[in-house]
Amino acid sequence: MKPAPFDYCRPSTVAEAVEALNSTESSRVLAGGQSLIPAMNFRLTDVSVLVDIGHVEGLDTVACDPGGVTVGAAATQTQVLDDDGVAGVVGGLRAALRHVGHLQIRNRGTVCGSLAHADPAAELPALAVASGAVIAVSGPDGERRVDAGDFFIGPFWTALEDGELITEVRFPAPPPGSVTIVDEISRRAGDFAVAGLVATVQADGGAVRSASLVGFGLGGVPTRLESAEAAIGGWAADHPAEPLAEAVMADTADAFDDIHATSWYRSEAVAALTVRAARSALAAGEAS
Amino acid sequence: MSLDIDSHIRHSTRHIGRSVPRREDRGPLTGRGRYVADIKIVGMLEVVLVRSIEAHARIVSIDTSEALAVEGVQAVFTAADLADVKTFPDYIPYIGPVKQRPLAEDRVRYVGAPYAAVVAVDRYIAEDAAALVAAGTTYEPLPTVADLDQALAPGAPTLHDHWESNYSFDVATHKPEVDHAFEQADHTFSETYVSQRQTGLPMETRGVVADITDGTLTVWSSTQSPHMVRSTVALMLGMPEPQVRVVHPTIGGGFGTKTHIYPEDIVVPWIARRLDQPARWIEDRMENLVASVHAREQRHDVEVAYDDDGTIRGVRCASMLDMGSGEIFMPGTAPVFVTNACITGGYDFPNMQARTIGVVTNKTPAGAYRGFGIPEGAFVMERIIDRVARLTGTDRVELRRRMLVRPGQTPYVMHGGGRLDSGSHTESFERALEMAQPALERARARYAGDPDVRVGVGFSNYVEPTSPSYHLTTGHWGGGDAATVRVDPDGSVRVAAGLSAIGQGAETTAAQLAADALGVSPENVTVVLGDTERAPYGLGSWGSRGAMMLTGSVLLASERLMDKARAIAAHMLEAAEADIVLTDGAFHVAGSDQPSVSWAEVGTAAWIRYVDLPDGMEPGLETSGYFHPENLQHQLDDTGKINAAASWSNGAHIGVVSVRVSTGEVRIEDYVVVHDCGTVINPALVEGQVHGGVAQGIAGAMYEHFQYDPDTANPRFASFMDYLVPTCAEVPRMEVDHFESPAPEQPLGVKGCGEGGTVGPPAVVAGAVSDALSEWGVDLTECPVTPVAVRAAIRSAGAAGAGAAGAGS
Repeated sequence: MKPAPFDYCRPSTVAEAVEALNSTESSRVLAGGQSLIPAMNFRLTDVSVLVDIGHVEGLDTVACDPGGVTVGAAATQTQVLDDDGVAGVVGGLRAALRHVGHLQIRNRGTVCGSLAHADPAAELPALAVASGAVIAVSGPDGERRVDAGDFFIGPFWTALEDGELITEVRFPAPPPGSVTIVDEISRRAGDFAVAGLVATVQADGGAVRSASLVGFGLGGVPTRLESAEAAIGGWAADHPAEPLAEAVMADTADAFDDIHATSWYRSEAVAALTVRAARSALAAGEAS
Repeated sequence: MSLDIDSHIRHSTRHIGRSVPRREDRGPLTGRGRYVADIKIVGMLEVVLVRSIEAHARIVSIDTSEALAVEGVQAVFTAADLADVKTFPDYIPYIGPVKQRPLAEDRVRYVGAPYAAVVAVDRYIAEDAAALVAAGTTYEPLPTVADLDQALAPGAPTLHDHWESNYSFDVATHKPEVDHAFEQADHTFSETYVSQRQTGLPMETRGVVADITDGTLTVWSSTQSPHMVRSTVALMLGMPEPQVRVVHPTIGGGFGTKTHIYPEDIVVPWIARRLDQPARWIEDRMENLVASVHAREQRHDVEVAYDDDGTIRGVRCASMLDMGSGEIFMPGTAPVFVTNACITGGYDFPNMQARTIGVVTNKTPAGAYRGFGIPEGAFVMERIIDRVARLTGTDRVELRRRMLVRPGQTPYVMHGGGRLDSGSHTESFERALEMAQPALERARARYAGDPDVRVGVGFSNYVEPTSPSYHLTTGHWGGGDAATVRVDPDGSVRVAAGLSAIGQGAETTAAQLAADALGVSPENVTVVLGDTERAPYGLGSWGSRGAMMLTGSVLLASERLMDKARAIAAHMLEAAEADIVLTDGAFHVAGSDQPSVSWAEVGTAAWIRYVDLPDGMEPGLETSGYFHPENLQHQLDDTGKINAAASWSNGAHIGVVSVRVSTGEVRIEDYVVVHDCGTVINPALVEGQVHGGVAQGIAGAMYEHFQYDPDTANPRFASFMDYLVPTCAEVPRMEVDHFESPAPEQPLGVKGCGEGGTVGPPAVVAGAVSDALSEWGVDLTECPVTPVAVRAAIRSAGAAGAGAAGAGS
């Protein structure tokens, strides 16, 4: 498990990083390296130049304001988790990160790296889609901003073009009074999810007014549960759960099969998570 | 025979029975362990094995030219280069011979089979070149068999040319009394129980370093059996055994996988000899998952005859082992025999008729893994008992109480000849029930308000054969072990034994025993294990044999040494030998206030100051003992039965689980173990063995599973992303208690305890989850118990209210 030969460079500005990325065909950005380095060691990824952005000025920031949280490309997951301001503005970010890997992984892994890697079972891409995050990208043609909803194209496949890198991601604050729940079924603590859900729920007088529901670990990209979003309006804890569950299962009928779970299991599991999330959100609403 | 342990104790503060701190941990815990991968020799070359990417294929050609052109590559070897190496022996007469070559010759039978070796100046270059050899290999794919059914289907492709089918062996017993039971019983049922493919997974992978200097080949090997490695390397490379030394450095666990002797154990020394340069190979984790043995993949076709009152009258069980390609030395055949021998566990149940079958498939060879077939059988028996209890409306606990071997019933001869020489089968279960009751109440209270959660309890009452004969497993080696004890001129004690230290605490154990037997402090005892040049021949650490063999052989050697030391002391004190007593490192005349003689004075007399020796006494103070339990049988008797274990430990496990109905998630709330391994030498070590064993048992019950593609026999795993090893977050708190039923035929009453922990969890978890979901009639028959398996079981029950909405609707 030794990687094939590669070059390594450590730029100090975004411009230098973009230049290095464009110096060869199979260049890759190294941020936390928690997925890329194992893939190189397994010789699953062919990398000629590794562009380490860990020393690029200004990329390791976490900035909170009332409108949202902006996370730089080199900011680690632990940095975001430990930031006092984050939870108050985008509660879902903290809720999602608690499911990401183990402490050691979060100490190195970055939020933007997880988005760029686009593992279909990862929490952060789903959160980005659910919360309407905007991803800032720099490349040879300058900067552009991509809505998270347009960013994820397939498994491990994003709207990033060759030679581009993410510089930051902006998670907007959810609607006031809403609750964001990130829940998942994983085989072991810290594993990628077998099935997961990001739910931002607005409740009103003991019933759900509306909810943003995005599943993960189900298909190639985060899965917006559109029928369930339609079905959940007006749902209350004493309503039958079946119609809501069935809506989720209709949204996830083509969930994938792998060695960890079958398609039907994933679909059922995310339905159960949805019902659970709705109940928790309503209970939280009552408590507050 | 009654035990008089005290007669062996010559230290006022007895060390046996105390949790003396482990002496072997300082190195590994402070980063100062010296593992095989830490061995550095000037000029040492790196070896990388090139492994088959086909599950079954002829190798048409291997083009090594590109690899050889890489700067830093010293050589690339294929099977043709190793023509002077003998074939791995096929010692066992009743199984199909596999004629295994160290490197595959013209045919590969599993993904991961080594067929070439690249030698380079460093590992990076070696891997670059290995990739080129792989790319330069032309295969002619052959049809594959990925499981038992495929392997045994009519017209199935056979793996081994000289075999008529893929059966390696098929050994059946016939018992008329079982036929009679089936005729008489009120009811019968048939079921198939399945245990999945796993591996022992030591933290340290395997590794070999080899070097020849002055005609002596030194092999550093991460093995559990250094002397067997020496014998086999010498045999296959055609060298005299004294010219082969196997050194056993710090070992990061073995769990059975390192009892085997692998191609790399032969190929790396051969390369060192061929190139006359030191060479090393360190298994990486990716290779480890395909190149070290797998285990536990068994299917059990069972017929059960039972009466309305829950009495189980007879069981017929055909146990089939998926052996993978079978290309491993020693063969991986024995665990399924152990499965059948131990299947009735702690129950008094003679009416068992067993058929034992081994089948080859295009997968990694199967071999040893801690538990060695016992968990698979325990799973079957406990599932049968639960089924009969449910079918007849009998209480699961009461039925077990009726069946367990009772106090006073030992020695009890099991259906296959296993002789339960002693034990606490009933007592352990009763104690475990007491301990589990509060746990069950706690869990019920915790989830009382959650309509989505059910709570259940599961049981396992098992036996653990310890210190087995190795003859049936290897067709060659037996089952005793040697130790040498020496007292040096300064009075220090040195103990050397052929057993190997693999993390189990063997060094601490040996020191405790020698300290008590020679009346010294453990700090005065130096322990040398495993190194073939420094320790006498021993079979190594496997089969829960360390405690029995080590204490048996060290005690024997110590007693012999004491006889001589007492004679010397008597002479020096001018007293009769019978009047000499030893306490705390000094010999006295009993009841006298004469000055004493120290071990240093006795040692000095023995080795240096011969003038102090009695007339005619041969100098020296070093003795050996070879412990071989009297009752240990190596071969079947006339009736086809065998007691192949020197003694039998037993245990009772009870687990309380919660199951989330809507998602199938299982959580072990509490886990109780009552364990009996005879006289306990060191309670902390025993508890450590139990904890680790249970953790590995839980791995088998719920997580670890090597899955293969049924169409291609390709592994569907490459890393720990796919092969799920439980972490501390998945392993529950355990409560452990002990009984001590001494082994009658071991001088201290010691039995082994290395494997029992692994045995209970599959039966316990499947039983507890089935209990929790009894309202849906769930009765699990396979491991692992995954969320998908749980949901599938609920769905197949088809009950209303079991939908995914669950959660109390």
